[in-house]
Amino acid sequence: MSEAGSTQHAERRLSLLVTVLAFALPVVFVLVPLAIFLGYSFFSVDQGTIVYGLSLGNYVRFLTDPVFLPVFWNTIVLCVSVAIICILLAYPAAYFLTTLKGRWRYALLMLLLVPLLMSYVIKIYAIRSILGLNGFLNKALVALGILQEPSTLFVFNMNAILLTLTLLLIPFAILPIFLSLERIPQVLLRASDDLGASGLQTFLRITLPLSLPGVASAASFVFVLAIGDFLTPQMVGGISGFTFGRILYSQFGTAYNWPFGAALSVALAVVVIAAILVGERFGRNRGTSV
Amino acid sequence: MNQNTDLLTLRSVSKSYGTVPVLHDIDLSIRDGEFLTVLGPSGSGKTTVLRLIGGLEPLTSGEIHLDGQDISRMPINRRPFNTVFQDYALFPHLTVSGNVGYGLSVRHIQRKEIARRVAEALDLVQLGSFARRFPAQLSGGQRQRVALARALICQPRLILLDEPLAALDLELRRQMQIFLKSIQREIKTTFLFVTHDQEEAIGMADRICVMEAGHIRQLGTPHDLYYRPNCEFVARFFGENNLVAGKLGAVQGELRSIETTLGRLVCSISDQPHLKAAADGASAYAAFRPEALHLADAKDTDNRFSGTISDMAFAGSSSVATIAAGPDNAAQRLRLRVPSRVDGSALKSGETVSLSFAPHEGHLVLA
Repeated sequence: MSEAGSTQHAERRLSLLVTVLAFALPVVFVLVPLAIFLGYSFFSVDQGTIVYGLSLGNYVRFLTDPVFLPVFWNTIVLCVSVAIICILLAYPAAYFLTTLKGRWRYALLMLLLVPLLMSYVIKIYAIRSILGLNGFLNKALVALGILQEPSTLFVFNMNAILLTLTLLLIPFAILPIFLSLERIPQVLLRASDDLGASGLQTFLRITLPLSLPGVASAASFVFVLAIGDFLTPQMVGGISGFTFGRILYSQFGTAYNWPFGAALSVALAVVVIAAILVGERFGRNRGTSV
Repeated sequence: MNQNTDLLTLRSVSKSYGTVPVLHDIDLSIRDGEFLTVLGPSGSGKTTVLRLIGGLEPLTSGEIHLDGQDISRMPINRRPFNTVFQDYALFPHLTVSGNVGYGLSVRHIQRKEIARRVAEALDLVQLGSFARRFPAQLSGGQRQRVALARALICQPRLILLDEPLAALDLELRRQMQIFLKSIQREIKTTFLFVTHDQEEAIGMADRICVMEAGHIRQLGTPHDLYYRPNCEFVARFFGENNLVAGKLGAVQGELRSIETTLGRLVCSISDQPHLKAAADGASAYAAFRPEALHLADAKDTDNRFSGTISDMAFAGSSSVATIAAGPDNAAQRLRLRVPSRVDGSALKSGETVSLSFAPHEGHLVLA
């Protein structure tokens, strides 16, 4: 009796431990660092050392200095553009995938996702060389007679960042859209046909609205990944392609102003969380099965 | 709406999926305004018939005629038929009125007109107050009625129903059967109803088309199918039945004898010329319903045999006795249905009894 009681006791302790760990890990590795960051954002730096006194100075500087807000805003616009272009390119691709049968569908999907397996930096290098003055894009455009001579329009500026981020992030848009399209029961499309709708009507009234949750999560994925990226702007942005991520990066690097960098991160985090919430809001279906 | 004119005719329609044939040379006429049920076990091809008529799938060969015109190649969205799908297939992102009005709005009918007809259709299916709900907020029976309203609002010539009651529980299914039948009478539209449930078929249909293995076995009223099955499959599939194998004997007017292990039995062949014409000695079955079988008394001279009761089962309003009959009271299993009584049945397990059925209540089926 007492033996059974003690094993029961041990079991209960084990399950308690598991529960504690399950909650503790995210707290220790996610919430605590975020909280520390938030704390740092209220400190300041004097002569290269951090002063642990609370002040709103960093936030005041971010909001009043004429440098930061415009870059912040331009970066948001840039990343929204990236998200929109990614959706516009990914939707037809994902739709095409769902029209394929069985094995082909997944083979092609895998092929589209292969770039995710490659190193990020190598991909950026590759794209940079395609976009560069002697790159494939320029050579092709000149050969086709569209351009008289190679253009510098495609590299070391905002356009370059836009193009590169779009190319890098498009798989993240295809996947959720594909999944949401694939989840639409075929019988709904047949029902729409049966009720007299044309192919276009069925697409606009049934397929498109039912795939919007996938579009919303794709958009928020791409936006969040784009806005957090500092490597791409650093490598293809040149001098004119200045983004918020680069400023942030420099605060932790060359400028060595962690408290100010933390404050900028908090500003960025607010935008990211907002984007995720918006994506989640529209990404939720109306809680419906068929 | 003349029940004697054919609305839709299938002419030697076949369908194969790849090399697998599922329908063999089907001929079927659907009369204008009737409630026709296609009944068959799963895999019989009954749903395929519906899908071919609805245009959900192309024919492999044959023709489908509507009012005498070939519509075999008419695209699904131009056919004047609407389907009630098995799992309803309601659009989850549209409200009840959005779903019901869908067929009208894709035809660019004016909003006011749509609203009026949606309200009308919802009243007809008694869902007037649910117009603004979403499908997920409805019960199974309510979704079923939305699907019906969505189909009938387009005023189709034919409404196709693909086992629409399969997902409902028994009580609701009974209610929906009565409801469907009353709606069909009210709107006077032809219904083609596919089911594997014979009770459902008997309860609702004007005519039943029994299918098996891609063939139509018999087409007729429920009464015809029950009392004059034309083949062994229908005789066994449709309701409980006792089948006793034997060889055909002499014709005596509207009756014909058959030599079986139970001795010589005499069964009705009225209105069935093929049974009259069949050769002497041909293999056939004597078929009689469990409720036609009874304990023999002095005036039963025909169709008399003895058997041993091997089991008694109480089934509510009636009880069913399983009987071993034939040589040594073992060769042939029969079922006997008697009304239940509160003080128990006179029949006891293990008893040997003398049984009989009236010749006009027995029928013959060629093997």
